[in-house]
Amino acid sequence: MPEEPLVSVLPPPVAMAAAEEPLPRDSVDVAIIGGGINGTGVARDLALRGLTVALFERNDLAFGASGNSSGMIHGGVRYLSKSPQVTESSCRDSGYIQRIAPHLLFRIPFLMPVRQSAKGRIAFELIDAYFRAYDDYQPLKRGEPHCRLDAADLARLEPGLVGAVVGGITFDEWGVDGARLCVLNAVDAMSRGARVHVHTTVDSIARLVRSDGSGRYVVNARDRFTQERLGVRAHVVVNATGAWSPVTAALGGLPQARVRVRPGKGIHVVLDRRLTNYGILSEAVDGRQIFLEPWQNVSVLGTTDDDYYGDLDDVRATSEEVRYLVQGVAHVFPSVRSARAIGTYAGVRPTLYAYGPNEDALSREHEIVDHAADGAPGVYSMIGGKLASYRLFAQELSDKVAEHEFEVQVPCATHVRPLPGGDGIPDAFEVADKHGITPVAARRLIYRHGTIALRILERATRSERDVTCPCEPVIEAEVRHAVRDELARTVEDVARRTRLGFGACGGMRCAMRCGQIIAEERGLPPAEGRALASEFVLRQARTRLVALGPEQARQEALSLAHWRASLGEL
Amino acid sequence: MTNRVVVVGAGVAGTAAALTAARAGAQVTLIDGGTGASTLATGALDAVFWPHAPAHPAPIGRAAREVLDALGGYALPDGGARLLTTSGVARPARGHDAALLDIMPLAGSSIGVVRCERPGWDGGALARAWGESFQPFDAVVIRHVDERVLPDADFAMRHDDDDRLGWLADRLRDALTRAGARIRAIVLPPCLGIDRPKGRALSERVGVACGEAIALPGGPSGLRFERARDRALVAAVDRVPGRATSLARSDDGWRIAMGDGPAREGDAVVLATGGLIGGGVEYAPAESIVASALPPFGRPPFRLTVDAPLTLGANGRPLELPGTLFGIAPESIAWPFARDALADRVGVLADVEGRTESGLFVAGDLRADSPRAWLDVLATGVAAGAAAARASRQGTGSAAMAR
Repeated sequence: MPEEPLVSVLPPPVAMAAAEEPLPRDSVDVAIIGGGINGTGVARDLALRGLTVALFERNDLAFGASGNSSGMIHGGVRYLSKSPQVTESSCRDSGYIQRIAPHLLFRIPFLMPVRQSAKGRIAFELIDAYFRAYDDYQPLKRGEPHCRLDAADLARLEPGLVGAVVGGITFDEWGVDGARLCVLNAVDAMSRGARVHVHTTVDSIARLVRSDGSGRYVVNARDRFTQERLGVRAHVVVNATGAWSPVTAALGGLPQARVRVRPGKGIHVVLDRRLTNYGILSEAVDGRQIFLEPWQNVSVLGTTDDDYYGDLDDVRATSEEVRYLVQGVAHVFPSVRSARAIGTYAGVRPTLYAYGPNEDALSREHEIVDHAADGAPGVYSMIGGKLASYRLFAQELSDKVAEHEFEVQVPCATHVRPLPGGDGIPDAFEVADKHGITPVAARRLIYRHGTIALRILERATRSERDVTCPCEPVIEAEVRHAVRDELARTVEDVARRTRLGFGACGGMRCAMRCGQIIAEERGLPPAEGRALASEFVLRQARTRLVALGPEQARQEALSLAHWRASLGEL
Repeated sequence: MTNRVVVVGAGVAGTAAALTAARAGAQVTLIDGGTGASTLATGALDAVFWPHAPAHPAPIGRAAREVLDALGGYALPDGGARLLTTSGVARPARGHDAALLDIMPLAGSSIGVVRCERPGWDGGALARAWGESFQPFDAVVIRHVDERVLPDADFAMRHDDDDRLGWLADRLRDALTRAGARIRAIVLPPCLGIDRPKGRALSERVGVACGEAIALPGGPSGLRFERARDRALVAAVDRVPGRATSLARSDDGWRIAMGDGPAREGDAVVLATGGLIGGGVEYAPAESIVASALPPFGRPPFRLTVDAPLTLGANGRPLELPGTLFGIAPESIAWPFARDALADRVGVLADVEGRTESGLFVAGDLRADSPRAWLDVLATGVAAGAAAARASRQGTGSAAMAR
């Protein structure tokens, strides 16, 4: 085949150095850009339908909004009055996710106190009626119906609540580790032949003028660590880059206006323990609804929603945002003020664009943009969406691609086929006993890996069963598994997959050892392992410091002294 | 003239102040509020933060050396030392806890790194990280199964027992024979005694230099300091357990109120309650002390945990009120956002001897703008202890001046 000239869809806005390179030999059906929940969800769906897939992620899987959400697969209760079909589909999908990854979900019962005010009684009745309607959908996701509580019930359930209330209601939602959900989707896609490239940025998307059927597009990418170039030909390109979508579209010369998002930054504050067993809703100073939720073994305060104009690769909470949340929750649950904040995290929502409305009033719907209208047939952008509805969104996109582009009639299977490890939940005590690890370590390992936990332990040598991160805890074998089988390349990547270093010590006891293990697994010199650890420690210190309180200030000073004693300047 | 010196704080600075004042003839009471930053020390002795250490370290003062001798268990080689950290770094130091291996005199020889099942210790990886002259070799150091998960300090305590140390020496000798190589020294995970450092005892029995690598904070070195301190202080000072809550002038000196128990009186006082880590200084944004709503008043971001007429500051200037009732933005006061940050430098403003006002001295981490390195902290304790002893002899100086 003669070398075909490359021409971008529209006059290229970026330097086309890549165009000088020979055409890549690799060819896939679909190239997906973005390793968040939408990208990995589509990769899995299409791979299950037998299509060949390559996925490129500029940072790490779940690096953006997917790994920094409130960690809930919720039923979309807020859409109930305007679009009940969205609530119904959200609840149904929550049920599906329980079926495919039962180990990864945990129940979070929420309390919604209704404060005494002139219209407090009426508000209470209206809220009660609203949730009565929501009860109709709860069975779809194995949720309990709501309860109506008087002030005494509420105080008994959560004595930490303050303020005069008319009463309150409970409602049931499910928590999830969003980063793990992404990783499991990616790993499952890989097990069905998909190629997933992390820390690999796309430099350009170009179109082949004459197609011989082996692909209409060339996606040129570059490994950000090794600078190695890799590219594929693809028949279809999917832009699933969330808040980065307009940036990605520009790489293919597509009009940004078609994929415009209004990036909304949301931050969360992490407290060192479960302060309560209930999620608690509260109103912030501006009337926005915010919450405190028990999540895995910590508590999380969330969330803000502010227009974001900064660098998407470096999104961080600020101390002002932290104070806004703490003040808002302390309003009904004052002990958050004396709780120890051990970190923050931040993400940017890919909200659908509109000029004018308040951040909260923007639509959380999702939308598929077919760029055929822009002269780029076979290029699709996924705009908007939520973690809770990712599977459905991925299915919609995959249906379209499979039928229209490939005439593949295989039905979607992502709601029935378990994700890796999702075919059961082993008993933690038995596992602990059999493999000589503590029941807590076993329980956490099983939470993250389901039945794969057994495989991780069976392959582990005795010393690999030692605990690397004592806070979570994470055993060494799990760190190695994250590097070998889950594409982790940095300490931060391992942390995202295992929660190593996300506990109270901020990586002081585990980051260096983790760096050492990664260096060993990846054949890097020891100094690079140290550099990976320092990078993580530094990044984590930045995210923690904005929520600094008296106790954490001591911990920070101690950590810094430790790093100085053992490493010198970081 | 009663010659009474009260030292508050039993860390490195307080111990140095108490021993120095006692040596100068003062009648010393040491108020010991429990464990602080000194117990978290790693055993590396620096005078300044080590990346900034001069190539030819300055000699240690006579009084400081006397304190070190009184403590025992520390080495201060003339040309400095070179220590290994469990983070895989070989770093310079001015001196060290005698259980640590100093590789300075071993330049060029092959050093064996014990490969054994201790948590966080990967002999192979560490040997690669420390450099070419290190070679991992298998040796049995685990005698009982619980030792695979025992914290470093508890494991180290087992080698206080002489028989156990002999057992370890036998295993290491066997391992050396098996390894067959020309190993001239052995690096072990932190394990060599709590009561006294067993580095030399083990080296003599094995026949090559043996020592530990530096552990995480909270390892054996800090506990070894506590034991050494307890022995050194027992004859020299009157030691009172408990926490001082406030410090105020009295008719003939200073009165120290205690959280529990009778107040103490002194002609001169050395306050050595530590910095942010030790607990002498606390980060206290206004919002942390109110339950809800806006705090009633603004406050500087740090406060002393003992109520005393002292001025907190940094860079020679007192702390100021921030322009917000909520509290200062932490981004502006601490690493890694700010370099040479306020949180790193904050403390009590004092002169070179730690004098704040007549008869009241501060030492150690509590002082503003000090390097917070072990030997520097020791030196400030020595200076404050000597000055306090002088002040107490000068006949209740503070009270005289107050009148």
